[in-house]
Amino acid sequence: MSNALTHTELASLIKNRAGITVDPQEMESRPEATFEEFGIDSLGLLGIVGELENRHATRITAGAEMSRTPAEFIDVVNSSLAAKAGA
Amino acid sequence: MVTGLGVVAPNGVGADAFWKATRQGVSVLDRISREGCGHLPLRVAGEVRDFDANIAIDGRFLVQTDRFTHYAMAAADLAVADAGFVPDENAPFGVGVVTAAGSGGGEFGQRELQQLWGEGPRFVGPYQSIAWFYAASTGQISIRGGFRGPCGVVASDEAGGLDALAHAARAVRRGTEAVVVGAAEAPLAPYSMVCQLGYPELSLGEDPERAYLPFSARAGGFVPAEGGAMLMVEDESAALRRGAKVRAVLAGHGATFTGASRWEESREGLVRAIRTALDEARCSPEEIDVVFADALGVPAADRAEALALADALGTYAERVPVTAPKAGIGRAYCGAPPLDVAAAVLAMEDGILPPTPNVTDVCHDLALVTGHARPAELRTALVLSRGLMGSNAALVLRRGSGELR
Repeated sequence: MSNALTHTELASLIKNRAGITVDPQEMESRPEATFEEFGIDSLGLLGIVGELENRHATRITAGAEMSRTPAEFIDVVNSSLAAKAGA
Repeated sequence: MVTGLGVVAPNGVGADAFWKATRQGVSVLDRISREGCGHLPLRVAGEVRDFDANIAIDGRFLVQTDRFTHYAMAAADLAVADAGFVPDENAPFGVGVVTAAGSGGGEFGQRELQQLWGEGPRFVGPYQSIAWFYAASTGQISIRGGFRGPCGVVASDEAGGLDALAHAARAVRRGTEAVVVGAAEAPLAPYSMVCQLGYPELSLGEDPERAYLPFSARAGGFVPAEGGAMLMVEDESAALRRGAKVRAVLAGHGATFTGASRWEESREGLVRAIRTALDEARCSPEEIDVVFADALGVPAADRAEALALADALGTYAERVPVTAPKAGIGRAYCGAPPLDVAAAVLAMEDGILPPTPNVTDVCHDLALVTGHARPAELRTALVLSRGLMGSNAALVLRRGSGELR
């Protein structure tokens, strides 16, 4: 599934949409680390959800912006993208 | 008590750079250089050019905010640093924030509305919900600095820049230790400029040296500016306890309303505002050492201001030095009066009357300071402001007890 959201892509979205620099490797190696720890709030995540929806021309499962951790967020986003690919 | 000044102005970022240019009477009015503005009939303004938001503001606040908030956040940082104020993490409710706003974040709003109509609703970013608000600067300064005391936004036209200071002084009297207060605006973007084109007072002059000539026979309107100033206002005993220098005292304030563009009527509005401010400051007209005029640059408005000074100060009005440094930087709407207050504080500290740039002839009975700065013992300053929508305000400032610079 080449479309899947990676930690690197998420870090770049966080930088562009929320203005925060996050190390993608740190996000990946510490799956328990929360968005709050990285300084990202739900409004920032909402912008990232919108960007992903526009980029992939699909809807992401409602409430994705309430994800606690990047790992959780990536799971929600990728299952939405997979559902679309499988549809 | 004013203990710190933070300035982001067309003629300088930081109180020192601003005061150096203001004292010298440098005019920085110039052709508007912003993208997408070249075809508009408004040609001349005061742009803040010596400012890099990417350096001044951290990324997370940058993406959520309009340029007017960038200026306000940077000015707030400068004011807090200038005051040597270190927020007490254990007393976050001791510091409040008050700003005045005249138009909010037009540039950010335009960008998102273009997304809305060009691409569709799903392309509008979530920060559109907060960035253009009049309250955005107060909110972001509060969040960023951890200032959880009384916060507010004064939306009372340009003169709100003075009203905000009075509001902060009241908060301090009611027990808040410190308030970060002032205003900054960013009206130089296509949508924001179009909104201003309807003002009959706007100068469409093309020559930067002649576009804004208040109190002159050649007065033909005002030119807008961006930027503004934030001040640190503190309770006297709290300031002295931490060893801060009291730069100036907000001694008296008065505000009135006389209707949009009714310049003749602004005369009595200003008179009442001045008298109220003098009364509160227990100040006689002769104690005023300098007047920082509103100086709209519209003949009827200039005349009304000169007559108001004559009404309020009597024959002394012909002798008191009057100055309008904004003739060299433009009128930053709500940001203009806090800039004048910053200039007044610096003038009193330095014992220098800054001149009114570009103006060489004066056609009213005023002792307007033109040409060069001149030395003077300045203990008390009167700052005046009027808004295009009819607000009038006056503020009396006393020199602080801090040593001279």
